[in-house]
Amino acid sequence: MRHGRLPFILGFLVAPVTLYSYFVLWPYVQTINLSFYQWRGFTKKRWVGLENYDRMLHADRFWQALEHHAVILVFLPLATIAFALFFAFLLNVGGKGRGGKTAGVWGSSFYRVVFFLPQVLAVPVIGVLFATVYRPNESGLINGVLLKAGLEKPIGFLIEKNLALPALIAVLVWQAVGFYVVLFSAGMANIPAEIYEAAELDGASKVSLFFRVTLPLLWDTIQTAWVYLGILAFDAFAIVSVLAQDNGGPDGSTTVLGLEIYNNMQQSRYGDAATYGVALCVLSLVFAAFTLRLTRRESYEY
Amino acid sequence: MTTTIGRDTPGQRSGGQGARVVPKGERPRRKLNVAGGLGHVFLAVWALMIIVPLAWVFLASFKNTTEIFSSPWTVPDHLRWENWGRAWNKAHVGRYVLNSVLVVTLATAGTMLLSSMAAYVLARYKFFGNRIIYFLFVAGIAFPPFLAVVPLFFQVKQLGLLNTYTGLIIVYIAYSLPFTIFFLTSFFRSLPNSVAEAATIDGASHTRLFFSVMLPMAKPGLISLTIFNLIGQWGQFLLPLVLMAGAQNKWVLTQGIQEISTSAGYEADWSGLFAALTISILPMIVMYMVFQRQIQAGLTAGAVK
Amino acid sequence: MSVTPESPSQPNALSRRTVLQRAAVAGLVATPAVGFLAACADSGSDEESPGTANTGAVSATNPLGAPEDQPISVVIFNGGYGDKYATDVHEPMYKKAHPKSEVKHQSSQAISTLVQPLIAGGNAPEFVNNSGEKSLDFGALVADGQLQDLTALFDAPSVDDPSKKVKDTLVPGTVDTGSFNGKPYVLYYVSTVFGIWYSGKLFTDNGWAPAKTWSEFTALCDKIKAKGIAPYAYAGANAAYYQWNIILTSAAKIGGADILKNIDNLEDGAWKVDAVKQAAEAWAEIGAKYNLQGAEGLKHTDVQLKQNQYQLAMYPSGDWIENEQKKDTPEGFKYQMLTTPSITGSDKLKSTALRATAGEGYMVLAKSKNPKGGMEYMRQMLSKAGGKGFTEVVKAPTVVLGSTEGLTFTPGTQSSQDALKAAGSEVFNLFFDGWYKDLDKEARTATNELMFGRIKADAFVERIQKKADEIKKDSSITKFKR
Repeated sequence: MRHGRLPFILGFLVAPVTLYSYFVLWPYVQTINLSFYQWRGFTKKRWVGLENYDRMLHADRFWQALEHHAVILVFLPLATIAFALFFAFLLNVGGKGRGGKTAGVWGSSFYRVVFFLPQVLAVPVIGVLFATVYRPNESGLINGVLLKAGLEKPIGFLIEKNLALPALIAVLVWQAVGFYVVLFSAGMANIPAEIYEAAELDGASKVSLFFRVTLPLLWDTIQTAWVYLGILAFDAFAIVSVLAQDNGGPDGSTTVLGLEIYNNMQQSRYGDAATYGVALCVLSLVFAAFTLRLTRRESYEY
Repeated sequence: MTTTIGRDTPGQRSGGQGARVVPKGERPRRKLNVAGGLGHVFLAVWALMIIVPLAWVFLASFKNTTEIFSSPWTVPDHLRWENWGRAWNKAHVGRYVLNSVLVVTLATAGTMLLSSMAAYVLARYKFFGNRIIYFLFVAGIAFPPFLAVVPLFFQVKQLGLLNTYTGLIIVYIAYSLPFTIFFLTSFFRSLPNSVAEAATIDGASHTRLFFSVMLPMAKPGLISLTIFNLIGQWGQFLLPLVLMAGAQNKWVLTQGIQEISTSAGYEADWSGLFAALTISILPMIVMYMVFQRQIQAGLTAGAVK
Repeated sequence: MSVTPESPSQPNALSRRTVLQRAAVAGLVATPAVGFLAACADSGSDEESPGTANTGAVSATNPLGAPEDQPISVVIFNGGYGDKYATDVHEPMYKKAHPKSEVKHQSSQAISTLVQPLIAGGNAPEFVNNSGEKSLDFGALVADGQLQDLTALFDAPSVDDPSKKVKDTLVPGTVDTGSFNGKPYVLYYVSTVFGIWYSGKLFTDNGWAPAKTWSEFTALCDKIKAKGIAPYAYAGANAAYYQWNIILTSAAKIGGADILKNIDNLEDGAWKVDAVKQAAEAWAEIGAKYNLQGAEGLKHTDVQLKQNQYQLAMYPSGDWIENEQKKDTPEGFKYQMLTTPSITGSDKLKSTALRATAGEGYMVLAKSKNPKGGMEYMRQMLSKAGGKGFTEVVKAPTVVLGSTEGLTFTPGTQSSQDALKAAGSEVFNLFFDGWYKDLDKEARTATNELMFGRIKADAFVERIQKKADEIKKDSSITKFKR
């Protein structure tokens, strides 16, 4: 089996690695390089050393964005994973157990399809959709109902400073839950039925089934989910830019690093944009490494 | 074994089966399951939160602008199919759909081939540099793609591939690798050694082992990642915007949607926009419905144990 | 700085171009790549320009000496004006004058997306209507030598009267408007007037009269409100600059047009003068009392539609609004424009004073294959027939003198043209938003804060001044003066 091993490895890696280096890695490396220059797009680049970094660290918007990332980083994964676990549990083992078998609730295949739908919507679609959902007058999907129901003043989901960010996080959760329901369902399907059956015979309730069997056995999957959602939290740019008032507003209350990159690009400040980009990359990587370390724990053999 | 995953595997208890497993005539109701009842309410509410806005988009595609911006709960006074016609013909949505189908099909196929090759090697062979390569790929998941866009443009230009399907397809593949390799690597790791060992003893080469033994075993994983890539690439709009800008007849659907939504602001053709949105959403929904069981099965890596 | 009405001011103004550009569903679809693509021209910039030496025989019908047998490529921004005026008017005119030269027509709603890769790829089009949300940065293009110096065009004999130079057939100031460091690079073609818009029908039906003084204005607002109609609103979600434009217009009336000049020039304390504060205070009260429900969360299209549905009485905008809304405007609506009312009894400028400019920028790319052909296209555009054809199609007057003779305007355009006449010499403009986008951003945010009651006038001027000072100190930002 050793024969031809190295050529085989090389042969299989050469195409993907080449493509990836040429079209993905190298452009990123050039971006890092750009963060040390001042460049307005047409004229020659000018070396400015760490000036861009200095300016970034002194910008209010930068720190605002970091704060928002922290908030998103906590609430997006928490809410998404909680909902997704809950739904996945119901869909897979939440039904009536009978004959020693556990089953999902009635209609679970229908829910499974519906829950996943937001995942297939492209960002421009989401933007149009939620602009309507949140619209602060009688033609908004939510406010239209509330105003009919007797509410006096529409809720300014995207206008109120302390509502805007939660409203955006809600959209992210709305979109993400479906994928994680599928992911967790897969994980749950992986848990041998005997474990549940044994537990059920012991008289365990659904709740304790969930906490004593499902949760620990899904730990690996949850960890993966956390990493992914964390990355999503750093990338919240798309949603913010299509939905938030006034470019990360009101008054910067929803800005994220991606948006600051975008704003700098719009002003043809490519060096600054690259600098924010480097910050974003560093934070994403630190987060990923940190999470992996923190959540590393023996996975259960079954 | 690959075809039976959805049926006999003990671990497989997705809802579709769950419903079927109940033998007719049996009366299993041991006790009223409170969790189930309440759970139903939660599930139904969440489902409504998804269906209602989407249904609204669908309805809006038949409305006129005045109806769209009045109370959201009205139905259009008649079905204005002309909105769809406008989206399809005047806004060329039809052509964009075909372009998207072409690009996404080929790009996903390429992504799956290259990713499975790389993932397989990274998952099952120890060699110097393995971890580094793996890490570099996985790190790609964390980078915001639009950062790389300017240098990328020149990389593509250098090869003379701007405004070509080839260029776009290759770039799609490159940017889909991190995610796909990440998932497939763990998938290949979970495959049992026994089969591979048996094949090796039979004298199979590495390449044959991969194509005729490992790849079929990995089929569930491949299918679900294929779907995810189809969805992801179908919704990609940053890359085509940059790389296909100069060739409007080669635009993909998301570029079309973008153009339509921009013009909706100028010409106030909101109903045309919603018709176009519906046209762009429908194929994805249908595809997901058709393949959802395979996706489920594919993510159930352990099912192949 | 008062400028005659016929002299629309300079580039980068809050012209129709910039207004449309931001109005264009700002933020509906995020396309950072497109902006970033501006960077893509870098590598192409070292190449020798192929076009300069490309000449044909000079003749009476071809004074610029464009090569008659070579094609030109025309790119039109397919925005508020569409591209019909080019395909139906200007391009046929050019073809008729130069039958051997092919015209390749392209249109886009995202100019930089289309044009930037062409420039970067060495296929620069000859003639570009650089406008819209995704337009290219004129200043950066000039700095990089991408734009053709239009001096030869403006000095060439005009199409209608060979004894006159092109520049003498245009509204005075047109050449300067598109000049950078004294050289003309951009042709601004469309005249634009700013004010407060209302439905003539709604006002006549209710017996309301447009207000001239502030007390008349608030009384009018009260009457409208009593009718159950929202008196005044702008779109906070993406068009807050429509409102700072109004506030600064009021400020200019109170304290004179130099107020705006000082703001543009980043003079110390320019925002903190009493005139700006007074204007902000007055308008903040309108915001607090007479706003449309939820206006802060609405986009310009939503709010404009409300007005078309008679749920909103007055709306600040430029005179493109009539064309922009034509599909949703009900029969008999009759757009009319009102200039901002005088806030104090001792305003320096009359209530008829207003802000006007020329908008919609056109350029010839110096590194295209046939720049002379591109200039010849412009020369045709600047004929009387060219201007008239444009106005007929898009209902907006151009900078070509006398080209609107014999045309009947739509009610809205007629009303803004009358207002422009009435303003006499009291016409002004401002530029800071095009020069310093950060300052524009800050002004927008502060305007929303002010108009929706979260800060007072003092804090309003304070925070914008702070931003202006920061920009002034920042050596990485190129400064402009006027």
